[in-house]
Amino acid sequence: MKKVIRMILTLSIIGIFSGGVLSKINDWAVPYIEANKKAATEKAISLVQPEGKNYERIKEAPFEAYKVFDEQNNLIGYSLVYEGNGFQGKIRLMAGVSVDLNKITALEILEQVETPGLGTKVTKEPFTSQFNNLITTPQIDWVKGVKPDKPNEIQAITGATISSKAVVAIINSGIDQLRNFHDSGVK
Amino acid sequence: MKKQVTLSKEFLKGLWDINPIFKQVLGMCPTLAVTVSAINGIAMGLATTFVLVCASLLISTIRKLIPTQVRIASFIVIIATFVTIVDLVMKAKFPELSKALGPFIPLIVVNCLILGRQEAFASKSKPLRALLDALGNGAGFLLALFVLGGIREIIGSRTLLGFQVMPNGFEPWLIMILPAGAFLTLGLLLGFANLYTGRRDRFEKEALQAQYRSVGKEAVFQNDPSEKS
Amino acid sequence: MELFLIFISAALVNNFVLAYFLGICPFIGVSNKISSAFSMGLATTFVMTITAIVSWLLFNLILVPYNLEFLQIPSFILVIASLVQFVEMFIKKVSQPLYRALGIFLPLITTNCAILGLALFASMREYTFIESIIFGVGAGVGFILALVLMAGIREELELADVPKAFQGAPITLIVAGILALAFMGFAGMI
Repeated sequence: MKKVIRMILTLSIIGIFSGGVLSKINDWAVPYIEANKKAATEKAISLVQPEGKNYERIKEAPFEAYKVFDEQNNLIGYSLVYEGNGFQGKIRLMAGVSVDLNKITALEILEQVETPGLGTKVTKEPFTSQFNNLITTPQIDWVKGVKPDKPNEIQAITGATISSKAVVAIINSGIDQLRNFHDSGVK
Repeated sequence: MKKQVTLSKEFLKGLWDINPIFKQVLGMCPTLAVTVSAINGIAMGLATTFVLVCASLLISTIRKLIPTQVRIASFIVIIATFVTIVDLVMKAKFPELSKALGPFIPLIVVNCLILGRQEAFASKSKPLRALLDALGNGAGFLLALFVLGGIREIIGSRTLLGFQVMPNGFEPWLIMILPAGAFLTLGLLLGFANLYTGRRDRFEKEALQAQYRSVGKEAVFQNDPSEKS
Repeated sequence: MELFLIFISAALVNNFVLAYFLGICPFIGVSNKISSAFSMGLATTFVMTITAIVSWLLFNLILVPYNLEFLQIPSFILVIASLVQFVEMFIKKVSQPLYRALGIFLPLITTNCAILGLALFASMREYTFIESIIFGVGAGVGFILALVLMAGIREELELADVPKAFQGAPITLIVAGILALAFMGFAGMI
């Protein structure tokens, strides 16, 4: 019996001690973690909306999106975060969209688990810069092997066609969502 | 009772004689998963060493207070606490690295190396020895991770620690940074480590035998005890 | 459809053993014979499914509401350890044959990083309750598959003339590398 009490006592003391230490450290770490998250979002927004100076999260939207403003606080566009299935897993990206939703300003891939060296090319130049000033009406399309000749087309990467297609599909459905949300009139 | 080994030996044995990866084949999961580059290997090695050292020190200090029946549970809670500390600190101060290592920082908890050292060494030794043993094993682990990460980075992406070391004409072998490359590289490294050890042991035996012959004694050789672990 | 994708992803495309390197220790240790590999796989799948359920409840009903997410690692590992103990006692009571088949593998499961990895991944990806269960089953099926395939190959390897230095762990790892390459063929499925 004495043994059992000692066992329970030891475990509880260790447990309480560990909980106490962790909550202290957690209190210290949380502000930094929040700041890091905010800095990452800010950096991504400044990449997809280079002229943006200020931003505000659209709270009513059922997905992550931001209104982006310039120095005079004029709305210059939106930043849309959207995700979908790639070749091996989820791709999460951020696209800068113009005010009328007809043009993409730039694209930034936030998270992906594509094949290293092949699928991961979608995160880099020259693939991403194809999206600069890309027209979104009609829907973005992709071509393979030839140079794109329409303003709404991009060239898929050889060896990473599925990843390229996935990025296009994710942006298209994201913009559809944003458009529906926009049209529903909720500001 | 085992013969007391010198303190420096306590540290050095972790580097090669009982190297966690090459000899004990422990802690494989993080080893394989994070070593796409040398810097990831170093970060993982340091994080694991930190947890190992702290846990060993604490557990060997309070080893007489813990009843044997609940020792594993106590060890796990203590290890998990230190791992959480590492995880939070990395998230706060090194967000990039923490993202690259992802869920493998929390998984240090189930790294058999750490629990193994507590069970086999720290819970039976004085704090100073436990500290040296943990440092040695941690350093050995770090070394192995660095070698593995370095090889994969050099061949897989032409760089080492971010600096280009292979000429542009060298087409990187993509397989090296894929999961398959991790298995293949580690398998080959383990094989060569065995080859080297086997050969060294044979040389030592032959040298000893020659010595014994010269004084006219027949040498009786047993298996190297370190092979068993 | 989403559920089916999670299952396929966990079992084949992102196989725990061959793509995420989780559960390598039992993978190397218990893959000598097909029969023991299958038993180990079954026991692991069983624990994985229950872990997925319990850890989801723990995380979403206790840790999140009280802002205790930082206790995630210690609480998950404790839950898994006690769960394994409980499952062992339960099986022993209910079915002796099953206990004889799985019994010796159960204690090994506590330190199988695939279990903790499963719980962490599920909470990190914010799966719903049903999704977590499917994820657990899928990961378990993938684990069985990898383990049994490996055991099948190793049974043949017994007859092969492997250099002495490469016997055991080294050749197992190299074979696993080739298996991982083969599993990459599943990649386009999701």
